[in-house]
Parts: sequence; C-alpha cells; structure tokens
Amino acid sequence: MADLFAAKHFLIVDDFADMRTALKRILNSLGAIHIDQARNGSEAIAKMQARHYDVVLCDYNLGTGKDGQQILEEARVRQLLGVDSIFIMITAENTREMVMGAVEYAPDSYLSKPFTKEFLQTRLTKLFERKAHLYKVNQALLAKDPAGAIRELDTLIADHPSNLSELLKLKSEICIESNRLDEAQSVLEQVLAIREMPWARLGLGKIQFMRKQFTQAAETFSQIIEQERSFVAAYDWLAKTQMAQRQYAEAEETLKLAARLSPRNIRRQGLIGDIALTNNHPETAELAYEQAVGLAKYSVFNHPALFAGLAKSKAAAGKREEALKVAEQIPKVFPDHPEAALYQATATVFVKAKAGDQAGAQAALAQAEQELARLNEGARLSQHALELAKAYAELGQEDKAAALLRQVIANNHDDEDILTQIIHLCQESKLNYDAESAIREVQGDVVRTNNEGVRLIKQGEFDAAIKLLSHAAEEMPGNKTINLNAAKALLMYMERRGITNDLIAQVHHYINRVQTLAPDDWRLGDVRHRLRKLTQT
Amino acid sequence: MDKLDFSTILASSIHDIKNSLGLILTNLEDLLGNPANHIADPRQASLLQHEARRANANLNQLLIFYKLGQDQLCVNITANPLDEFLEEIIAENRSVCQALGLRIDHQCDTELMGFFDIELVRGVLEGAIGNARRYARTQIQLNAELMEGFLVIRVEDDGVGFPPSMLAQTDYRPQTLSSIVGTPGHTQLGLYFAAHLAQLHRQGDKCGSIRLVNGHLLPGGCFELWLP
Repeated sequence: MADLFAAKHFLIVDDFADMRTALKRILNSLGAIHIDQARNGSEAIAKMQARHYDVVLCDYNLGTGKDGQQILEEARVRQLLGVDSIFIMITAENTREMVMGAVEYAPDSYLSKPFTKEFLQTRLTKLFERKAHLYKVNQALLAKDPAGAIRELDTLIADHPSNLSELLKLKSEICIESNRLDEAQSVLEQVLAIREMPWARLGLGKIQFMRKQFTQAAETFSQIIEQERSFVAAYDWLAKTQMAQRQYAEAEETLKLAARLSPRNIRRQGLIGDIALTNNHPETAELAYEQAVGLAKYSVFNHPALFAGLAKSKAAAGKREEALKVAEQIPKVFPDHPEAALYQATATVFVKAKAGDQAGAQAALAQAEQELARLNEGARLSQHALELAKAYAELGQEDKAAALLRQVIANNHDDEDILTQIIHLCQESKLNYDAESAIREVQGDVVRTNNEGVRLIKQGEFDAAIKLLSHAAEEMPGNKTINLNAAKALLMYMERRGITNDLIAQVHHYINRVQTLAPDDWRLGDVRHRLRKLTQT
Repeated sequence: MDKLDFSTILASSIHDIKNSLGLILTNLEDLLGNPANHIADPRQASLLQHEARRANANLNQLLIFYKLGQDQLCVNITANPLDEFLEEIIAENRSVCQALGLRIDHQCDTELMGFFDIELVRGVLEGAIGNARRYARTQIQLNAELMEGFLVIRVEDDGVGFPPSMLAQTDYRPQTLSSIVGTPGHTQLGLYFAAHLAQLHRQGDKCGSIRLVNGHLLPGGCFELWLP
C-alpha cells in the first residue's frame, strides 16, 4: 500500500498554507514522498509544465486568479495532464453544480471538505485501480484510435465489473464521437432497459441530432428537462437542435435558462451573446458578453472574440462610447494574440457604423481584410471569415459578404454548427443571400466529387482519382472531408502500388491541414493508422 | 455591495468554516493517533472530534436546505456499487468511532448496485451515523440489501434503541416534529432532512422513504433508508 503512494508524484494546490501543510501530512502518513505545493493557479500551471504529476489535489476556491476548474481546463487544453494522471477537485460546498455544469472538463473525482486520512486513502486507492483498469482504453484514446478503445472496453465490459455503468457510458461517448451511431444506440438502449438515466437519454438525443432527426431530438431533450430541470447539458443540446430547426428566439431562451442554472460557463455565455446579437437583442447580448469577459479573465478560454462581441452589443444598445472603449481594450488585454487585431477591427466596424462614421467604418473594414489575409489558414479560419462577413453585412457590402460566405460553406459543407450560423446571419441581417440554396449546391458538388473519386478508385483508375480529389482539396483547403478523402485516395493507391516519399509527404500535408482545423476529428485516427501501417512495413 | 446576495455569503462562510473544521479534524486525528501525545483524558479529544464532524454534517444539511428553499436542488442519480460506497463511509468514520471506543463495519453483497444521488445519500447516512455514535455502546453497522423492489440501506447500533414515540412516527415534516418532545440534542431536523431527500428519489410511481425500527441485526436503533 505505502509503495503505491511512494512511487507517485503529488501536487497540492491551495491558497491556505495550513491546509497545504495538513494535506501534505496526510499524504506523508499514507506513504507519499514526492509532494509539491502551489499557492495559486499560475504556480500550479507552472509546476505542471515543469513535471508530470500522478495526482493533483486542487482546491476549487483559490481567492483571486484562476479557480480550480480553470486550472483543470487549462491543464487539459494544454495537455499538462497525462491519461494516467488523476485530478481531484476539493470543494467546501456540495459539488453538484460543478458536476452538472462541467460537461466538458470534469475532474477524475470530487472531494468534499473536510475528509479524513482513511477516506482519502480509500478514494485514492480506488482511483489508482480505476486508472490501471482503464489504462489500455486511455492509451488507445490518446492515440486517437476509437476502434481500439472500444475493443479494449468490450473486453472489460465482458467481465461485468462493478463499474460497468461507467464503462458503458464511456463506450457510448466514444461511439458517438467516432460516429458509430448504431453501436452507441444499442449501448444506450441496453442501459435504459434497466433504468431511466438522464445521461443515457441525452446520448440518444445526440444520436437523433446527428442523424438530423431534429424534431425527435428536440422532443428527447425537452423530455429530459421536464424530468430533470437542472440537467444543464440537455438545455445546451436542445438549443443546438432549435438552432438547426431555425428557431433562433427559442434557442436563445433555452440557453438563458441553462445559464441561470450554471452561470459560470464561458462558452455558453459567449454563445448566448452571439445568438442574441444576431437576434437583435443587444441587451441580452451585452449581459452575456459582460459575464463571459468577466469569467474569462483568468481562463485559458479568454479570447478577443468575447471583447469584440461585447463591443458590438454595446454599440447595438446605443452605448457608443463604452463600445469604443471595449474595442480599444482588445490589443491591451491580448498583446501577443494573433487574432487580436482582426477582432479589434471588426468590432470597430460595428461601433463606427452605428455611430454613423462611414469613413471610420470603411477604414476599420480595410484593416480587418488585411488581418484576415495575414491570418490565412489558422485554426479558426472559418470563424474569422464569418466575423468579416458579418462586418460586410453590417456595411451593406452584399457581394463581398456573399463571396466570403460561399467560401466558408465550401470549407464546411458538413459542419452543422457553422452552416447554422451562416443561415442565422443571412436571415436576421439585411443580407440578401440565399444561404440555404448555396449550401445545397456546395453539398451536391462535394458529394459528386467524392462519389466520382470513390468510383475511380474502385475501378483501379488511381491516377484519375488522385488528380480529382487533390484538385478538390486545393479548391477547398479548409474542407476537412475533402482533405481526408484526398489522403485516403493516396493511401489506397500506395496500399496497392507501394509507397513513394512524395506521396507520403502529400498525405502528411492533408493530415496536417485537418489537424490544424480540427485536432479532435475522429476520422484522423483511421487515416493516421493506415499511414503508420504503410510506413512500418 | 449593491444587493445582499445570501447565496454568495453562505457559500463563502461555509468555505471558511469547513476549512477550520478540516484543520481541527486533521489535527485532532494526528493528536489521537500519535502515541507520543499524552492527553489527560483522551475521551475529551474524541468528543471534540465527534462534535466537529457533527457540525460539518449540519453545515452540509444547512446548505442543502438552502438550495431546497431556492428550488436549486437537483438529484443526480448514478449507478453506485454499494460495497465501495459503504466502505468509503466507514473509512470516513472509522477514526472517530475508534476514538469513542466503537467498532464500525459494513455488510453487503459485493455485487449489489444502487441507483441514487451519491452526495445526498452520503449526507443522510452521515447524519444517521452521527446519531448512532451517540447511542451505540460498542458497535455500529452499515448494511444494504434489496427488499420488495427497494434498496434498503441501514445504520444500526447496539444502544438502547429509539423511544416508542419516535418509532410510531411516520410524518417527518418540521411542523409535526416540533410538536413532539424529542430527546435533548436529538436533531429532529435531521429526520426531516433524511425523509425529504429520500422522497427526492423516485422511480416510476415509487418514491423513497425512511423508517426507524429497533433490534434489526444489532439490538439497538436501526435507521432505514428505502430507495426505489
């Protein structure tokens, strides 16, 4: 037992020296030897950058600066925690708000203060066991190999362990993320056959959403909310579904309800701001962005877009002076942020336009165009282009807006979120652009190109297939599907005809593009796997 | 401060109080566990530990009552292996029980799974164990089993048992409770808390409840939590 603790590295994060000492003494008495301490978020992050910790015990409430949740988020986003690391959030209050609110970044465990030595020992021992139990699954997930992770999970599930429910939940999540919807559905139905569980019902709703069965999905999410009024994730998904159904006002209301239950989620507040602004509800937008900007101060999710949103909503609410001040703050708050200048420029377009300063707005627009060109193929490319398109729309430059939107559509023909934003923008602004038809057209083109590519490959006409798909990839460099298919065509060719350095480099080029655009895209795993197999033999 | 925000005050006060309680408890645990310490009457230190834990359980109750009042409480049902769950609760209580000269253990099928809100049920059981510590002579036992389609979790002791007036009681609302002359120091609010949280557990048309009986496995009082 003591050996288990002696080998591990611990980090204690608490602003209160006596608490750190007390916790350190407890850990010592359990056999731990390597114990570091941090007084606040910055120290904690610095320590985690400097070395790998097996266990982080972090107090939620740390006074000014980052709170425990923000430390966790930053550690996960910056990949400072390994798959086998254990992050434990220590709280004084009951933990349910955090459990319900933290959908994306949950710690491995919550501990409610105060706790005894024996309790900590029991909990940590259990967590070490769980991590060891899930080691192979986590390794597969780290390697972005969902199929492998599911295989490992199935082996564990076959043993009917005591954490079966946890395993089934994990399996359903991996299946949903990797688009194995039938398999996910069968897991969830298996769970629901035993007992109604909101997380399982939510999973079924997500599957309906992904199958574009929006009416059923909305019904599922509403049903969950009716039974569990505080299940925040169900509101987020209902709002997403309402957006897809073009019910923008309803989506705004749903998100406002979610924010009332869980007000500390920056992403949700930003989303409310975006939707409310497009819905022409500047007061709601202003409030939401105020919240987001305040919450994001110490967060890894702080971004110039939040300040730009605040400036725009203040301008729309007639508070021009304040709006201008917020826009001017952007470069000061984000001195080294590559996107700061773009967002400052687009925010200024709005502020000046609302103030009737056409010349000022045009100058800012020119600035924004330059910035977009400079940013080129960044990770947020489509968001940048949308931001500029909104500025064009605001100044009534329909042709430019339409050209840019068409490009965004071409790059994201199958990304429901971005397409919905475009349609929302076109419907609510004065912009005269038939986004729905444009989307259908682009989708048709992409599907035709793809099908033709697949047909050529099947007939062994590899040269023609590669030519067609790589041409399409150059036409739509931001389109993940096209880039992946081009990579796949090259892989299939090499699988049959042998590898060449040039073609391998070309595959890497496509993979890197997708990696930059969407590092978590589940399709990357398969392509990487095939590439590895080819280069290893 | 433009408007008095009670929830913020409550949260930050509780944070401070719990920090203090945490330090008191950790230091007491060290004190009691250290053979080099010579306390004149170790029982005094054990009582301090027992009362500090009770204060903590009461704080948790207070917070949950506050949320109930604000309509902010929601039940987060998960599937929980009972063996592990009871083991954790025992681990949390072992040192204070030992110091009081009490044995605490648990008994349940290792395969037994329960569907409930783990934090709420933990709070209910903490309260029941706090009471049992007061009345037990030598032993406290936690056990769990399935009965009549419910999960029954019990906290038993080998004390004198509940008085007849309490055994007869079926209604635990505060207005009813205040009319009953309780044993001094016996938290009637605790029963209301337990009954209310039990009721928040529903499955189909079934709903959770609590029962008090005497002489189940151990001769003394037995607190039962019935969960659907």
